Amino acid sequence: MISRRGFLSLLALGLAQGLFLPKLSLCAPFPQFFFTQVKYRGGEWDPNPQFVEAIVEELELRTSIDSSNERRILTLSDPDLFFSPFLYMAGKYAFEPFTPQERAMLRRYITFGGFLFVEDTMGAKGFGFDQTFRKEIKEILPNQELKKLPPDHPVFQTFYLIGNIGGRQKVNPYLEGITIDNWTPVIYSQNDLSGAWAIDKFGKWVNDCRPGGEAQRSSAFKLGINIIIYSLTSDYKKDLVHHPFIKRRQNL
Amino acid sequence: MTLGQIAISPVFPLWLIFLLLSLGLGATIFQYWLLRKRLRSPRAAVLSLLRLGALFLIISFALNPFLWARKEQKVTQSLAILLDTSQSMNLPGAPGRGSRLDEAKGALLDGPMPLLKSLTERFNIKLFGLGESLRSLETENLGNLKAGGKEGDLTEATEKLAGKHSMVVLLSDGNLKWKSDFSRRLPVVAVPIGDPKGYQDILIKAIQAPAMAFRGRKVVIDVTVKGYGYKGLTIPVHLKEGRKLITAKNISFNENTAEITIHLSFTPEELGSHHLSIGVSPQFGESLTSNNTVSFSLKVMKDKIRILMISGCPSLSYRFMRMAFKNDPSIDLLSFVVLRTPSDIMNVPLQEQSLIPLPIETLFAKELKSFDLLIFDNLPSHLYLKLTYFESIREFVRGGGSFAMIGGPFFSDEGRYIGSPIEEILPVRQFGREDYRRDASWRVRLSRAGKDHPITRLSPDEAYNLDLWEEMPPLDGINLLVAKNSGTILLEGGDGNPQPILTVGQYGSGRVLVLATDYSWKWYMGMVAKGKDNWPYLRLVERMVRWLTKDPSLDSIHITLPEKGRWVGQEMEIRFKVREEDFLSGRKGVVSLSVLDPQGLKIKSQVKTAGPRNEYLGSFLPEKEGTYTLKIETPTSRLEEHLIIASPTEGLDGRPHPERLKTISADTGGRFLSSEDDLLKEIETYAEKTESRFIELKSSPLWGKPYSFLFILVLLTTEWYLRRRWGLL
Repeated sequence: MISRRGFLSLLALGLAQGLFLPKLSLCAPFPQFFFTQVKYRGGEWDPNPQFVEAIVEELELRTSIDSSNERRILTLSDPDLFFSPFLYMAGKYAFEPFTPQERAMLRRYITFGGFLFVEDTMGAKGFGFDQTFRKEIKEILPNQELKKLPPDHPVFQTFYLIGNIGGRQKVNPYLEGITIDNWTPVIYSQNDLSGAWAIDKFGKWVNDCRPGGEAQRSSAFKLGINIIIYSLTSDYKKDLVHHPFIKRRQNL
Repeated sequence: MTLGQIAISPVFPLWLIFLLLSLGLGATIFQYWLLRKRLRSPRAAVLSLLRLGALFLIISFALNPFLWARKEQKVTQSLAILLDTSQSMNLPGAPGRGSRLDEAKGALLDGPMPLLKSLTERFNIKLFGLGESLRSLETENLGNLKAGGKEGDLTEATEKLAGKHSMVVLLSDGNLKWKSDFSRRLPVVAVPIGDPKGYQDILIKAIQAPAMAFRGRKVVIDVTVKGYGYKGLTIPVHLKEGRKLITAKNISFNENTAEITIHLSFTPEELGSHHLSIGVSPQFGESLTSNNTVSFSLKVMKDKIRILMISGCPSLSYRFMRMAFKNDPSIDLLSFVVLRTPSDIMNVPLQEQSLIPLPIETLFAKELKSFDLLIFDNLPSHLYLKLTYFESIREFVRGGGSFAMIGGPFFSDEGRYIGSPIEEILPVRQFGREDYRRDASWRVRLSRAGKDHPITRLSPDEAYNLDLWEEMPPLDGINLLVAKNSGTILLEGGDGNPQPILTVGQYGSGRVLVLATDYSWKWYMGMVAKGKDNWPYLRLVERMVRWLTKDPSLDSIHITLPEKGRWVGQEMEIRFKVREEDFLSGRKGVVSLSVLDPQGLKIKSQVKTAGPRNEYLGSFLPEKEGTYTLKIETPTSRLEEHLIIASPTEGLDGRPHPERLKTISADTGGRFLSSEDDLLKEIETYAEKTESRFIELKSSPLWGKPYSFLFILVLLTTEWYLRRRWGLL
């Protein structure tokens, strides 16, 4: 949640960035939930092209979310970015630096209420995408830091009570994120969640999950659902009314 | 006559007189020197002395000698007779003497030698009545004199009378205002009226109650009850709203004259103005029962706006609205998001779920009234709510609660609201199952009503406000609805056949709103995308909440009621201010004030501009006690307020207070008389002591007397005779 003071300071920032903003297309209607994937230059912007269908199907089966299995692909200079409920960015390798205009757009999107989920699908720490993303996000939000999200962060409680971080690989037992006030607009994973979600046209898993196998894949889906619900409800699960229930269940 | 009684008042400067005397002396000496040549010395000396004497007398007239005398004179005293005419003088006086005013009149006018007549013969008498103000009375009108109004201010009265009268004769029961440290003291001879020993009364002497309270927070009212002549009695003091008893507490009078302070407390739950009264039941033998009750108003406000929001599914609509609510410190939000429906699968054990059951029974059967605003956000309510809860919601709104519905695919709950209590309270009609459209972008515009409505008037500048709404991004999904006649469309979308997007209405005492879209968040992010500010969306949400919950900050008219002195017969002045936007909108028109008396009859009132251009001053004269209704209307808005006008006897302590009269007479150096005294004799005796006298000084000039001139003539004639005899002529 962004405070009033935060809004005012961001207003000035936003006005300064206004010059970089291109015209909105505003043509096609936007469903309430869909994935918007960032297409960037260099590297591999779409390492898991088949990730949407399975996670959206699970979302439909398990939750009340009105979602679409459509995946929209945008560059960071596209103003429709602002109408994306869930901005997704993934990659394995180093990519070309964003332009100042792209950085300004992404900064404005993040600071004014947008949500960005970023995945390093390499399956190892400190390689190309990881290095480039960390550098870029520092450029975009110089006063913020990617930090490990604590176990009681609402993203781990929005739907499932999550203790284990799943994914195609088990690179980190945690998620990282940038938190502004009580809202974490940027969440970063290196466990390749989308790799665990991906299915081929015959409905078979594209990737095996290692080392945890299907339990690890199941955790990846649960975490994916939690992240999506977090992007639509913010810190709702931190409301006092939920506390006793969550605490009781965690102690079961 | 003694030499001490002679004084001089020179008509010329003394030096000149002494110069003339010196010249006269010199001339006489010169004359003596001339005479010595023709006469013997004694004769020359006699003639010179005679001439010198005459000359000195003539010159000494310039000293203006006069004789003065002191004479003591007596002054006829001017007495002010002050007759207390305040309302307590209507109460019974001494047994068999009618009211206290009658008793006072009798003291002045009755008997073979009426006191007033006797005093008039002896003194200069001026008669005054002392009620709320001091007024002059004529003796012949004394018989028709009536008591009324609040207690008089004797300090102020004696200040006015000082300098014109030598003393005041006061006939009063002692219910007067008096400052003991008052410096300009005019002696007051006090004649007590009334019988304090036989007086019986119970009164609510004072209450300390806040004018404003917060809902759900305890209010404590301090009540002071006074009793005369009811030793041993135990009675309840009750706090009521109309006839409804709120709370009561027993008090016991342990003394014949007792003053007891108690605290009555209660917790107001309903917002708005409450007309309360604190009182005790009339008791047998009470001299006055209209002072047993005190009425007052208590405005109950909310310290926080409590919102209960139930969302049918996680959505950006929910998240952005939640963000707007959480950014407002005056809002207390309790929200529930339906994360899964009964048909969704849940393939994990309970300890891995964070879902909580929706506490429907608690919320809708017990706690609903504790909220100010209920929001259904795209909620398929049939899955969770029974029809009886719809009825609870209808009663909640009818009783003053607010209800809003936010659109989306589940908004109409597949037509299940049709014919339900929810449809009854909404300002729109629903089509049923197929009412949601996500097949086009719906651009919105302000309706005629929306241009002025506080919700959509995001800026006081009308043109800028229109531009803002023109600029808002189109919506991707809306619900197709038809506004009821009772509904007011503020925003409409689509071309040709406009669809209501934002519609408001009133049901019972509550307000309702329908925002027929789940894409209002685009008004936030769309403006951000254009590089503009996000405040229009935040202000819109804030104003929706404030309008729904009747927040005074959005009222078009702000009224200031008089805080004190709300008495019958006293002109009431009400200040009110019309919102600047309305004043500037060009529809300022006529601002009117209607006042209805406690019986609901319209009474005469006036309204005029006061100070700044959008401020007004209304006035009316209440002629009876009770709750008056004030209706202020402008071309764009209407406000109704209530004002309690108290009885003049409310809070009146009518017991005669001779001890107060004793204090007054002691403070002023006057005298306290009793009804058994011979009033005329006592007043005369006291007046003699204070009789004022003065010394009159009389002066008579000596030179103007005939004997002065005769003496000079004798001197000059003797000189002339001697000169002739001695052969000088």
